[in-house]
Order: sequence, then structure tokens, then C-alpha cells
Amino acid sequence: MRKGLRMLVCFASVVMMLSACATTESTQKPYKISQQGTVIWNDEFEFKLPPPGWKLVQVESGGEFGFGFLRTDPGQFPSQSMFVYDEEPFGCSTKFEDREEEFFKRYLWASTLSISMEILEKHNVPVLGGEGLAVVAEGKDPIKKEKVKSKVVFGKRGDRVVAFYLTQWRHIDGTYDPSAFEIFDKFVASFKFLKKSFYETL
Amino acid sequence: MEGHQRNLYLYERFNAQVVGVSRDDVTTLKYWAKSLDISFPLLSNVTGFLGNYFYVKPEPGTENYPIFGRRTVIIDKKGIIRYVRDGSPDFKDILLFLKKLNQEGGKP
Repeated sequence: MRKGLRMLVCFASVVMMLSACATTESTQKPYKISQQGTVIWNDEFEFKLPPPGWKLVQVESGGEFGFGFLRTDPGQFPSQSMFVYDEEPFGCSTKFEDREEEFFKRYLWASTLSISMEILEKHNVPVLGGEGLAVVAEGKDPIKKEKVKSKVVFGKRGDRVVAFYLTQWRHIDGTYDPSAFEIFDKFVASFKFLKKSFYETL
Repeated sequence: MEGHQRNLYLYERFNAQVVGVSRDDVTTLKYWAKSLDISFPLLSNVTGFLGNYFYVKPEPGTENYPIFGRRTVIIDKKGIIRYVRDGSPDFKDILLFLKKLNQEGGKP
């Protein structure tokens, strides 16, 4: 196949792998509150805020910036819950089933060296005005004595797959708090795009 | 690399082909590509002469290691280098540049 332009990318694979997943807290407020009480984020997204106690975070993932909310939970370390919206979730496929497999190869990769994630539930869900895929998974680390339960919802923005995900970390003997999952579900259900993505405008 | 893989359909739209170059050996690259589900060509350049050809400097602290610094280069259909950027690829910038280049040059 003849192509007009040739693009060459030079890279250092080790450096590439280390560049993912830095997490930083936001110091600015890139949002405003609408008259209906919803949040307008960068004039691009609209959603309902979680209740008080959830702290705003911005997350770098896959070279793109997403955002989300973090809550410190009562109990032994590492009790916390965090959910984010990610424009570029791990993986490349535009089919949900394939993307889910690719995603879980790298999801929580720094932790999964000693944690094997097990898929507990998987089903289609309505999201972002179309059909999406929701996956609930759990992993346990018997050495660090930690466990994590996670819900990932894949949806579409134009041709591309986007994702929402919640992670809830607990001590191995701790109990999960389902209220965080309910708050996450409400956040996802309320989420709307206010304009086309960059990729849809090309 | 995942970012490039996600953008393949857009590169195709703009008549561009992405190629990765690494100093890793072929076997390592095969496994690496498989692990990331990469489908575009990855070139193994163990001796590193392509790095010299494209003036790729090692990233600080890696001078004594056989790895390239990261550099994105866009070459047009005449073989002229039109875009160079060091560090992490700026995918949106790359796509906008390719769109403009494709509009300038038309389809081959």
C-alpha cells in the first residue's frame, strides 16, 4: 500500500513505560456550576458532583489528562476510593470486548505485579447515550495484605472508546463500601458531552 | 505507542504511515508489540545508526545505555523532514500537522 507521508517515531521503550500514570492534584478549578447544579468541566463535559468528602483530582493516563474524585475511607491503610473519567483508557480497540481485554492487561499495572485481577461481573449498560460495557473486577495482594475492587464502564465518544473507572482499596480483611459504587454510577449516568471531541473534528 | 495505535485510522485518513524505531532486538520488539497490541511496523536498529541519522540525542541519564531518546519525525512524500519533536509525542499536534500536510500535498 502506497502512502504519501512517512512518519518515523524514535522511542525508548523503557522510558515510555515509565511515563504512564502519574497522578497530581489539581490546583485550579477548570469547572463552573450550572444553574441546574451540575458541573460544566472546561465547557466540554457536564456531570453531577459527588457528595462532600470527595476531593477533585486530575489524572494523567495514557498521555492524556482525565479527572476524577478521591475519598479517604475509614479503616486501615490503604482504605480509599477513587473514580475518574479517562479519554484514553489503556488499549486501542474500538470494540468493547477487545478493549476490555487490552485494558485489563495494564490496568493497575504497578499493583498487578503481585495482584491477579479477577473479573466478577460483565454486562452491557446504557452510557453516554449509547450502549457500553460495565466490568467489575477484584484483586488481592496476600503479601502486602491489600485488596482492590474496581468497576470499569466503557463507552463511546465518536469512534473512540472512553472509560470511567472506580477503584476501592482496602486492607485484606477490610470490607468494601457499596456507597462509593452507587455514587460512581450516578456520576456516570449524569455524564454528558457538550461538544464534539478533538478527534471528531478532524 | 498505544497512542499511535489508537490513531491509525486517522493517519490512514491523512495518507500517513507510522513506523517505530528502537534499539531493541527483533525478538524483544515482537513480544513488546504483542503485549501492547501494536500492529504498525517497528524497526529494530540495534547499532543505532538511525539515531545518528535523525540526530536523536539520548535522554539525560541514558547516555551509556543502548536506547534512543524519544523523537517524533514527520517526513513528507518528497523525503523532507517537516516536523521534529523530542520527548513524549503530542498526538493532537501530530494529527493537526498531518491534516495540514495532507491538505497541502493532496493524496498521492
